[in-house]
Amino acid sequence: MLELLGRLSSINVRKVLWTCLELGFEPSLTEWGSGSRSLQAPEFLALNPNGLVPVVKDGGFVLWESNAICRYLAHKHRRFDLLPEGPAERAIVEQWMDWQLTEINNAWRYAFMGLVRHSPKHRDASAIADSVTQWNHQMAILDRTLGRTGAFVTGEAFTLADIVVGLSTHRWYATPITRPQLTAVAAYYARLRERPAFARYSDQA
Amino acid sequence: MLKIWGRANSSNVQKALWAAEEVGVRYDRIDLGGPFGGLDKPDYVARNPNKRIPTIDDDGYILWESNAIVRYFGHKYGNDQLWPRDPKVRGLAEQWMDWQQTTLFSDFVVLIVQLLRTPPDKRDQTAIENARQKAEASWAMFDQHLKANAFAAGKAFTLGDVPLGVFAWRRYELPIQRANLPNVDAWYKRLQARPGYKKIVMTPLS
Repeated sequence: MLELLGRLSSINVRKVLWTCLELGFEPSLTEWGSGSRSLQAPEFLALNPNGLVPVVKDGGFVLWESNAICRYLAHKHRRFDLLPEGPAERAIVEQWMDWQLTEINNAWRYAFMGLVRHSPKHRDASAIADSVTQWNHQMAILDRTLGRTGAFVTGEAFTLADIVVGLSTHRWYATPITRPQLTAVAAYYARLRERPAFARYSDQA
Repeated sequence: MLKIWGRANSSNVQKALWAAEEVGVRYDRIDLGGPFGGLDKPDYVARNPNKRIPTIDDDGYILWESNAIVRYFGHKYGNDQLWPRDPKVRGLAEQWMDWQQTTLFSDFVVLIVQLLRTPPDKRDQTAIENARQKAEASWAMFDQHLKANAFAAGKAFTLGDVPLGVFAWRRYELPIQRANLPNVDAWYKRLQARPGYKKIVMTPLS
């Protein structure tokens, strides 16, 4: 059975949980990164020297980096609906997964840490405002893309890109910020809510 | 012919160019970004709404995000060794590619902007030192992995080495103090034996 190490409050752990549910199984989740189970514990660092969740153990095989884990699982289970087999179709899914990692993830970090996690290091009002501006800008890029596809990030079908972008979309709606009206994103969010896995894992549980 | 947009000194453009060399696909590179500008031009934004480099056009197929482009080249034009079909080997290659983006990149942005693109009297020495220490801690982590592995994904070179290899050149070329990391040194030497690395990455930093 696939072992998953992490905590439910992590958006990156929820990517893996959602992916597993789409693949039709539940991993065994061991809490790490909350309470007494520090990510700096030697036994954890032996699995992921980067000291972050999620980590998966598949037999003796250990993997970390959330998007790499989701792709590994879809690849292993040959779920070409979630991660297409053809190079061109597949790369577009990966492009938007990487966009989540490199762009939107960096845009929301300061505002989210300040407004939701109440981190003392993220209290600067102008830095929060900049972060919100960047975040809304990225969501507008998503809105134009969804306006074109009319359904999901890469087209008519749901893919792994919608898991990582979908969780970011939920975070955008759940954070107390001023949001522009983005009609395609709103319709997308409603579409995602119809999926049982989204209903289960979009929130911090 | 395959088109790749982006200035040749960009680390992210170099990933795409080096990967293209490795898989042996011919391309035309078009200067864009930095001193060349053009990121806001409507025809470019239509291809890449994110307004960054690189972007590719492969016979009408448009793709951006540098690591996604590297993987696409591996998948479409590469062989099983450069882009392994085994999920576990590929998973490891992808893990280290993503780690370059999520962990190593932001510190190198500081080092590159400060040390290459800021006049000496305007540099923020505290920011440089913080970034250097964090980057060296990251390389130390990769050094541990390389104790038991010749390359990112195991015994053989894969495109998983490309993103980190581009930044390894910067680690050794920037005027910074480096920790003693013998496994990274040896891996870096192995990369330097590759013609694509020499041609694309081992070029003057700017």
